[in-house]
Amino acid sequence: MSGDAAPLLTARCLSKLFGGVVALDSLDLDVFGDDILGLIGPNGSGKTTFFNVVTGIYPASEGEIRFDGRDITNLSTQAIYRSGIARTFQRSRLSLPLSIFDNIMIGNHKRLNHGLWFNLVRRRAFQAELEENVATARELVRIFDAPLSERLLDPVGGIPMIDRRRVEICRSLISKPRLLLLDEPSAGMTGEETRLLMDDILEVKSRFRDLTIIIVEHEMGVIERITNRCVVLNFGQKIAEGTYREVAADRQVQEAYLGME
Amino acid sequence: MSERGPANTAATVPHTRNPLPALAVAALATAFLITLLLVESQVGIAALIAGAAIATIAAARQGLLTRITAGLATREDLLGALCVAGVLVVTVFFHEDHFVLLMVATLILFVVATLGLNIQFGYTGLINFAGSSFLGVGSYTAAVLTMHTALPHLLVLLMGGVMAAAIGSLLLLPVLRTRGHYSAVVTIAFALLFKTFLEVNDILGGPQGLAVAGMDLFGWSFNDNIVIGDDFELSFYANYVLLSLAILVVAFIFVRRLDRSWIGLNLDAVRLDETAAACFGLNILRWKITAFTLGNFLIGVAGALYGMMLGFIAPANFTFGDSLILVSIVLLGGLGNAWGLVVATAIVVIIPEKLQAIQEYRFLLYASMVILILLFRPQGLIPRPLRTYFPGFRTR
Amino acid sequence: MDVGLFAQYVMNGLMLGMMYALVAVGFTLFFGVLDVIKFSHGDVLTVGAFTALATYLGLSAAGVNSPVVQVLAIVIVAGCSMALLGALIARVLVLPLKNAPALNTLLITLMLGTVLRESVRLFYPEGANPKPFPSLLPSDALVLGNFNLRLDSVLMLAAGAAVIVGVQLLLNRTKLGLAIRAVAQDEETAKTMGINFTLVVLITFGIGSALAAIAGIMNGLYYNEINFGMGLLLGAIGFSAAIVGGLGNIYGAIIGGFLFAMLQTIGAVALPFASAYKDVFAFGAIILIMAWRPTGLIQEKISERV
Repeated sequence: MSGDAAPLLTARCLSKLFGGVVALDSLDLDVFGDDILGLIGPNGSGKTTFFNVVTGIYPASEGEIRFDGRDITNLSTQAIYRSGIARTFQRSRLSLPLSIFDNIMIGNHKRLNHGLWFNLVRRRAFQAELEENVATARELVRIFDAPLSERLLDPVGGIPMIDRRRVEICRSLISKPRLLLLDEPSAGMTGEETRLLMDDILEVKSRFRDLTIIIVEHEMGVIERITNRCVVLNFGQKIAEGTYREVAADRQVQEAYLGME
Repeated sequence: MSERGPANTAATVPHTRNPLPALAVAALATAFLITLLLVESQVGIAALIAGAAIATIAAARQGLLTRITAGLATREDLLGALCVAGVLVVTVFFHEDHFVLLMVATLILFVVATLGLNIQFGYTGLINFAGSSFLGVGSYTAAVLTMHTALPHLLVLLMGGVMAAAIGSLLLLPVLRTRGHYSAVVTIAFALLFKTFLEVNDILGGPQGLAVAGMDLFGWSFNDNIVIGDDFELSFYANYVLLSLAILVVAFIFVRRLDRSWIGLNLDAVRLDETAAACFGLNILRWKITAFTLGNFLIGVAGALYGMMLGFIAPANFTFGDSLILVSIVLLGGLGNAWGLVVATAIVVIIPEKLQAIQEYRFLLYASMVILILLFRPQGLIPRPLRTYFPGFRTR
Repeated sequence: MDVGLFAQYVMNGLMLGMMYALVAVGFTLFFGVLDVIKFSHGDVLTVGAFTALATYLGLSAAGVNSPVVQVLAIVIVAGCSMALLGALIARVLVLPLKNAPALNTLLITLMLGTVLRESVRLFYPEGANPKPFPSLLPSDALVLGNFNLRLDSVLMLAAGAAVIVGVQLLLNRTKLGLAIRAVAQDEETAKTMGINFTLVVLITFGIGSALAAIAGIMNGLYYNEINFGMGLLLGAIGFSAAIVGGLGNIYGAIIGGFLFAMLQTIGAVALPFASAYKDVFAFGAIILIMAWRPTGLIQEKISERV
């Protein structure tokens, strides 16, 4: 943990209201470079809403988000992605009829040439760019699973859940983001699959030196294994912060999870 | 179609060079088409159509169809060339027959128009229930420009496309602002508005319509028969067949390349999951605007030449029902499959022309057909294959 | 403008608004329970009007000439048969596509609309031509200067209002209404509470479609003419009215219907020379309204889960 360095992402007094429902309640949160931060809390405590506000899907009702020293509050999803934040979704949102390669390329949008002339007329140049990207995508997938990297043209609809999760993470990583938001990557997988995927995430973390990760998880084993710091939310507020052991021992946290008021 | 990358790069492997399946399919299709067009007896036509349907279903049951299409997929350039050759053979065969050549040219122009619809609907998921209206915009533009200006006719075709794209852009605001599929109602309202407007507007001829001058390409007047030597005379519609074919080839290559590019990927991503796409930096509006405008442009160009070929256009040519038929073609062919469109348009244009008995019932029949397709085979007759970037594209 | 003429316009606007509101309420009911847009709704209205006409002709042929009996009979026959048709459409076309892309539901109902419209045109005797619709209501009029307050108009407005209030009471005061609202709120929860989801959907589609039949009969009685294409315009307007009111919101649909009628009437008064463009303006207004307030004047709940 980079103790005194400036945080990569900060949220100050961040609130999000849906009608009368308070999903985030003046949340203050710091994420430092090199963190794997676990974001935990009971259902409906605002974890996914936090991701949605950070990535610009919902506008914040109040407060400020800074990323890498820059105010990104209420920027468009596109601008936030370009600034270096990528995410996965709780319910896998891959384009099932498209191939693994195409899905990953959707994540590489900012580094592809989208000109009409380039795409339609300069087919040789296009092919060169295509081949370069095939190679990059294959390299990336190989970190996760070597056999999968040889099947880049298989439609995503036909591969098992764990591979879909891998493809989803590759789609987020291909553009080399500074911050990766993982929204419940273990959802819908067996314990063994979850373990394999966490191996992959740790492997990714060791390869991409300056990648920071925030992970939302319900599986406490996962949180304990891979995070170096945790933030616990309840009713949109931060109720505890620290290493997993520290927050797990916190009385307020235990009450929140057991549903005691 | 003429896109063959360097043969031994990492991304492409030399694909099967056997041209026989493509040749056989093309020859068979051309022979069938000629027979179908020749036969006059209604019973004979019905038998031919039924026979073809049964043969196709049988082939599909045997798995033959998927093998053929897979084989053709790697030889698209050849298939394209053979289709062009097939049309030329049919044109020469029926060189004196106005009726047949008009039908062939109409068929080709409808393929161009549905290619445009395919960019909007098949790729981007932007549904347009005013296809026939944009065809009408092209036709009426051609009518006004050919009768009142001396603009060269090739430019008139272009202007037909530009006008369709421009009028389409008036609809862009409501189409883009409406969430999900409500935008469909905007295009429906426009289709109904357009026809009503034409009917009450005297300047554009009201319900009686307008005359359109025939195509004149650098002094080559399209409305005269072509005479070669002393005794070989081609119907003047052959001119229109040739020009529409040229436009189709360009449009087809354009749409195929679009599909096989990052732009095609963007359009698919917008259709499949807007929210996820936006999270990866796709500018949803930009791609929707691109698709809607390009699509309307193609439809407008087809409409301009269609009007010039018909010589006389009226609001009744561009009804909401006709728009629905265009949408049916795209669904029937297999959403997003350009080759499927060719087959589907042929079925939808030729059958009611030849089978007079069903002419009156065509709206009813096609609407019922789409209902059945959506219930039982939503991927269409020829489902769109997985996206690729070059024929025979491999990743290793 | 003098008061009498003004009153005449208001009356006319109210009639139109009532018809639009009836159609819009149907759209909003369907959207409420299933989150679908059923584009065949306008054509169900057409079929309803033609069913009513056929019933009337049948009764006349059978020698039943009492207008009261005739009116009651055509409303009951057309209303019930459209309710059945609506439930059938839901069962055969809409529910099977529940998990397919929303676009498919839109397409299938739109195509069904074409099937219904074309069937009327092709199979109803001389269906391609406009058909005279009988005036079955007493046409006595109270003459106030320039203004004829016709009894039939008053009766129709009262009947329309009664129907809407009835639907409202049904939704808010009965067990069935509670079930419908529960399904609209949250399908899964409603199911776990033991509500028969399919049945509720079918009944809702039945009610909405019966409303369309009533609107079709009102249209016929008011203009004394019906044609196979009438549902296309009424459907498009009813749909926009429902959108303006915020799909899924009954009060919104009613307000939307009357708002649209008001705009149309004002247009007709302000631009009398352009009366030929009446429908052009109506469709133009639909497009503009969609551009202005794509999710309606009353904000629809945005429920996309990310």
